[in-house]
Amino acid sequence: MKWLRNTIEVWAYAMRAALLDEGVVVFFVIVPLLYPLLYAYLYNNESVREVPTVVVDNSHSQLSREFTRRVDATADVQIISHCQDMEEAKEMIHRRDAYCLIYIPKDFEKDVAEHRQTVVELYSDMSGLLYYKAVLSSCTEVSLDMNKEIKAQLIPGATEEQISVFQYPIEYKYVPMFNTQSGFASFLIPAVLMMIIQQTMVLGVGMMAGEEREKVRRGIASKWIIGKNPIEILIGQSTVIFSIYVMIAVYLVCIVPPLFGLIHIWRWQTLLAFMVPYIAACTFFSISLSSIAHDRESFIIMFVFLSIPLLFASGISWPASNIPIFWKGFSWVFPSTFGINGYVRITEMGATLEDVQHELNVLWIHTIVYFCISYLVYKRTYGKQLWA
Amino acid sequence: MNALKQVIAIAKREQKRMLARGIYTFCMVLAPIVAFLFFTTLMGEGLPADLPAGIVDEDNTATTREVIRNLDSFQQTDIIEHYPDVASARKAMQKGKIYAFYYIPKGTTQLAISGKQPTVSFYTAASYLIPGSLEYRDMKMMSEYASGAVGRATLYAKGYTEDQAMAVLQPIKMEMHAVNNPSLNYSVYLCNTILPGIIMLLIMQVSIYSIYVELKEETSKEWLAMADNDIVKALIGKLLPQVTTWLLMGLFCLFLLYGVWKFPLNSGIWPMLLNMFLLINASLALGVFFCGLVPSLRWALSLATLWGVLSFPISGFSFPQMAFPEPLRGLSWLFPLRHYFLIYVDQALNGLPLYYSWLNIAIQIAFWGLPILVLQRLRKFLLEYHYTH
Repeated sequence: MKWLRNTIEVWAYAMRAALLDEGVVVFFVIVPLLYPLLYAYLYNNESVREVPTVVVDNSHSQLSREFTRRVDATADVQIISHCQDMEEAKEMIHRRDAYCLIYIPKDFEKDVAEHRQTVVELYSDMSGLLYYKAVLSSCTEVSLDMNKEIKAQLIPGATEEQISVFQYPIEYKYVPMFNTQSGFASFLIPAVLMMIIQQTMVLGVGMMAGEEREKVRRGIASKWIIGKNPIEILIGQSTVIFSIYVMIAVYLVCIVPPLFGLIHIWRWQTLLAFMVPYIAACTFFSISLSSIAHDRESFIIMFVFLSIPLLFASGISWPASNIPIFWKGFSWVFPSTFGINGYVRITEMGATLEDVQHELNVLWIHTIVYFCISYLVYKRTYGKQLWA
Repeated sequence: MNALKQVIAIAKREQKRMLARGIYTFCMVLAPIVAFLFFTTLMGEGLPADLPAGIVDEDNTATTREVIRNLDSFQQTDIIEHYPDVASARKAMQKGKIYAFYYIPKGTTQLAISGKQPTVSFYTAASYLIPGSLEYRDMKMMSEYASGAVGRATLYAKGYTEDQAMAVLQPIKMEMHAVNNPSLNYSVYLCNTILPGIIMLLIMQVSIYSIYVELKEETSKEWLAMADNDIVKALIGKLLPQVTTWLLMGLFCLFLLYGVWKFPLNSGIWPMLLNMFLLINASLALGVFFCGLVPSLRWALSLATLWGVLSFPISGFSFPQMAFPEPLRGLSWLFPLRHYFLIYVDQALNGLPLYYSWLNIAIQIAFWGLPILVLQRLRKFLLEYHYTH
């Protein structure tokens, strides 16, 4: 049982080393604790409401005022001004006082009265897609309602039902599934949570490995390594990382989402069975990668920026079905790609383990492959001089 | 002249240090280039086409098959599979195979013909915001179209002309103009700010690393001695090779966006060159400022990392800033990327005269004042501080 005693000894030393190193604590504890709160606070409003909009009403009619009033009453659009002409309206958009413009033509009411189709033109500042969406959906909604009322006058004496059938011979219904509010936080935060696990681990482990390497260069290798087999060191250290991150993960997936009212419809057994291989894969991935850490800080400047491409490579924003095959291959190297997809589907869409079987398999393969690479790294680092 | 010689000597020393360490080549050349190519080719389509969708057609008549064929021909939607019922389509969605499905219940055609108003429905996986909303758009359009087709047929039978029929079916019509990005190209939305953002993040981190690594390796005194212990000369000499490299990377970034991918550039290239120049210098200034603020490589780097990563959401290019909580909106003034984004919107996207952007330009320049506040502190750190290993 010498190996067990050795492994436990390594574990105890490594745990103490990690928790006493303020730099490592920043990445292992402080960032994972605070970052999600910051993000959730940022996106707390979920979507854009009351987009400032200007109206150019050339019709000056009762009907056009009615249209404007109803658009103003929607949640997404707020009419902030009526402009004399397009020039004045455009100037307000250029000055960022408004983001959208509604243009009502001169013959608006006349056209409707004389049974001609009339066209209301909408313009949006294209610096943000959500402005576009807000003005288009609000105005469309109002026009559908008003169209219905206009048609009611066309068929005098018709019942509500007859008008409805006339309006929509085939009725349709839209059912958004899972993220029913189409909220920005519900869409982004779960992916960010998984990304935080992998990236803070890479940075923290990179810092620990860099520290060791600096010590070796100065000829003061940690004493507790002496007499230990590389596999004992690997198991001891990886268990430290794993156990710290189990606690972090409990915080990230059990406390953060309900705190901000995000959807969480998972069963704990499913989540546990998924998170264990994800954390394990991340652990050995980080250790494998840490073999190139030259000093304590190099990983911070080498891997922080990578979080942004990796978030996109996961397919959470730009759809995975349309990611070029080359970048798909690139994304397969990282546990986060599979962690994000599996986690989102489990927590937001109620997927079962069987539904995320593919992701689960890859995470176990990652765990095995990166374990082997980690072992080779440790054998090279600690095998020669110290294993006696 | 002596000062100039000293600066050049320090710049040469820095250049040698940069070339000797792989980390500089990685972070200043390799990483940005790969990241630029990643984002622009990832979203090369502009708008993702042929997104996988499913069908549940319980009715299965000539009419419904026609509707499905039509839906499949829409640009964003690709029907990859027919499912026997809603439950199995839902399962496929949970497995991540499809982003949306269209459901036509049994008897739909019969009910429509007899004027009994049947209901069809469509479901999207809203957790995947972009593909979900694109397929929503196609399926809604298809539903309107199908319903309209029946309505038009009825009216034509009564002798209406096409114009008359449209006036009856849709008296008020909305027409959307997406000025300057009519195809709703996602790459235009995102790459225009993400690419410069990556430069900004790396500039802050590399500048801090390059300054404080001297403390760690106990070479800071030697470095300052080359400038007669004048911190201004020492910093200019050190940052000169970095600025040069970053300006080249910035040029490459603009070339990729407006030369290769032909993104909207309604202002001409000069305002964007100015914008990039200001961003690079503001980021460097912020890097030096963080060094003076916290006299420790790891803490200054951590601060720069927080600032740099936060820059992406807070600049408001994806989720508009007006929906942020009030305190964060105020805070966003302190992020160079936020001003870069606003100048880009005024200039390249909307082609406004330069004076519309004057405030943001002024603030980018004001960032240069930050290092002045901490120069003497920084000098003291570099001369007196002992790095504790």
